[in-house]
Amino acid sequence: MRIVCPFCGERELGEFTYLGDAKPVRPSAGGSEHDVFDYLYLRDNVAGAMSEHWYHGGGCRAWLKITRNTLTHEISSVEPAAGVGAAKVGG
Amino acid sequence: MAEFSWLPRSPLEHVLVVGAYGARDVAPGISLTEIRNFDLIQIMARRGKGAELANAAKARFGMAAPEVPKAVSASDVTLIWSGPDQFLVLSKGGKHAMDILSQAFSQFASLSDQSHARALISVSGMKACAMLAKLSSLDLHPASFPIGAAAATSIDHTSVNLWRGSDLPDGQAVFNLLVFATFAESLWRTMLDAAAEYGVDIGYSEELG
Repeated sequence: MRIVCPFCGERELGEFTYLGDAKPVRPSAGGSEHDVFDYLYLRDNVAGAMSEHWYHGGGCRAWLKITRNTLTHEISSVEPAAGVGAAKVGG
Repeated sequence: MAEFSWLPRSPLEHVLVVGAYGARDVAPGISLTEIRNFDLIQIMARRGKGAELANAAKARFGMAAPEVPKAVSASDVTLIWSGPDQFLVLSKGGKHAMDILSQAFSQFASLSDQSHARALISVSGMKACAMLAKLSSLDLHPASFPIGAAAATSIDHTSVNLWRGSDLPDGQAVFNLLVFATFAESLWRTMLDAAAEYGVDIGYSEELG
């Protein structure tokens, strides 16, 4: 499997580390126990297109948000995760 | 109280043996040269300060810092892309050392002195590309990795900054590698293994290529 890093170009899988589901959003400070439990522990077991965080640790050390089909490993989009780079992405 | 000596020493001094290595019945196909005593500063733009950093870099170095994986050189400095909104400043002789650059850039960027944290290895020779092809997953053919191309990548599971320098006068390719000092020995041995069949000429230099 190869991943096209938006900064480095196409690279082998070995340069990347998988973090997991990119969907969960941290609840606000006043969030309920149920919401925090859900955020921390509950994950969907998606069969199909899934939004994931990956880390290009063997390259530019940027966090990436990747849409990958868990059935076929087909990657349909790669974009920098929020906050990557100090200012801008892709101009 | 123990007495410490803070003299800078090469991270490769225990493994670098000047002279020939590997195949002897051919002209050396690879030159491995460690470059010693350089100044290396990592500059990373603060959030939202990318444009200011770019302007400051242009004013300071007389050329734009690379925003894509490339290395650009002037007479006294090389700027090497190392990731989004960050680059390395490679120079010699203190003109672009930490105390000077921090004054120029600290408003817009975080700076980190890597001068003694990395080893700089120059790989050249007619077989340089063939040797690196054994170790790197990148396509280093001049068509896809031309002079001035740079990459932050991994070789033998070790993070390196790799860029292609100008060819030597006789047309031989030159690749420059920056590797974390503590991984330099391991990478050096790996490269010697990969290069042995081509014949290696090992040396070190105080001059940037």
